[in-house]
Amino acid sequence: MTGYLSSIWRLRHFWMALVRIDLRKRYRGTVIGIGWSLLQPIAMTAVLCLVFSQIFGQSIREFAPYLLTGLTFWGFITAVVMQGCQSFFQGESYIRQHPAPLAIYPLRATLGAGFHFLLGFAIALVFVWWVNGFGNLPALVSLVPTFVLLFVIGWSLAVCLGVANVLFQDSQHLIGIIMQMLFYLTPILYKPEMMLDKSPHFALIFNYNPFAMLLELIRKPLLDGELPSLWAIGASSLFALLVVCAAMLALRCFEKRMIFYL
Amino acid sequence: MTLIKLDDVGLKFQVRRAGRISFKDYLLHGLFRRSKKTSFEVQALENINLTVEESDRLGIIGPNGAGKSTLLKLLAGIYPPTSGRRKVVGRISSLFDIALGFETDANGWENIMYRGYLQGETPRSIREKIQPIAEFSELGDFLNMPVRYYSSGMKVRLAFSIATAIAPEILIVDEVLSAGDMAFQTKARERMKSLMSSARAVIVVSHDMKSLELMCDRVLWLDHGKMQSIGPAKEVIKAYTQQINQEEKRQAA
Repeated sequence: MTGYLSSIWRLRHFWMALVRIDLRKRYRGTVIGIGWSLLQPIAMTAVLCLVFSQIFGQSIREFAPYLLTGLTFWGFITAVVMQGCQSFFQGESYIRQHPAPLAIYPLRATLGAGFHFLLGFAIALVFVWWVNGFGNLPALVSLVPTFVLLFVIGWSLAVCLGVANVLFQDSQHLIGIIMQMLFYLTPILYKPEMMLDKSPHFALIFNYNPFAMLLELIRKPLLDGELPSLWAIGASSLFALLVVCAAMLALRCFEKRMIFYL
Repeated sequence: MTLIKLDDVGLKFQVRRAGRISFKDYLLHGLFRRSKKTSFEVQALENINLTVEESDRLGIIGPNGAGKSTLLKLLAGIYPPTSGRRKVVGRISSLFDIALGFETDANGWENIMYRGYLQGETPRSIREKIQPIAEFSELGDFLNMPVRYYSSGMKVRLAFSIATAIAPEILIVDEVLSAGDMAFQTKARERMKSLMSSARAVIVVSHDMKSLELMCDRVLWLDHGKMQSIGPAKEVIKAYTQQINQEEKRQAA
């Protein structure tokens, strides 16, 4: 494992260059460039605020950063999952030419998605500071391990789904549907309390949905200035451990043979 | 010193059938593996025993589809053997499919960097090489243009210049000598010669019997994925050309 990671590290200039290309390619020939990445979540948040503040009677002050963090987080997860599915096909011409650890291709997808996540998060942070003032520092510091956890989960998910999609190309379509369903089963657009008031059974889903747990790790410190619950930390870490093991297993079984299926 | 050792190596491809796999076929055959309907098998290489020693110059010949390129890719570590063992000591540099693997939206300079990084260069070490690479490719101002607009000849020029900029330990070449226009070919051949003389071992696939006879001291003749014969370059090439001539005569008759 350490040998594998160090060979990935040795190729860092290569995959970092690929990430830079991907970012540049996205805004090739545009005037606003990276501004689009900032504008997209802001616009979504604005319009959702407008609608939901009427329906749910939420104050915009509170609801805007809530939505923004939720949407940015979900943007990261879907990007990692969907681009992870394609990552080996995308890197095929390199894979056919040069024997390198295959995990660098999902890593490329994860780092690109991570960059956009951090941008979105920065907007939310600025908004919260502007509205509520500077928050509770220890709570904010807890975001650092959260981001590391998120990165590890993202990378592992991308590896797993990349392998799955190469072996069985229906995966990407199946995953697309599952992600859509998860979007509504995760408290992104609504608060868990709103749902629990109407139907207490949903507690089961919220408590065992790893994405809901991860969202709590992000939102609690930022929005409430509190440390996340131990349950959320434990469940997220367990989830991370599971996907890391799954990714390692997938690479161990299929990394060498992957070239035959591309 | 032995640099490469293949011990009874075989390679079996699982080739996916073209088109959509029907759900019925998938359930009936795919799930229970070894299915004939969702994929079929191709024995690309069989019982390959090969050792490459220090300062060896090995040529590989054979008709199209004999498994020459597959064997090179197996030697380079891109394909794992599905049976037998492969042992390699030393760093392998390979020249095949070199026109692939460009980032078409990036310009020539940037692509020199990416390729270099993939070959294990660092930003510092590539800085010294980038100018000689650019000069060798003779692409001049085209290097400022995205690779998407390059002709295939220009791509090959660039790829060849990058791939040969690093002194290799073990060099594996797949007929890249047909790169670019006449002037560039002469240049490329010169560069190949100097690379081959500096490398610890060279393995080359080619259909050009004359240059193979000059370059190599040993030749391996592959046919249908099996070793037809291996030995001194002159003898094997002679046997191979004789067989081809005979076949031609037979077809003519």
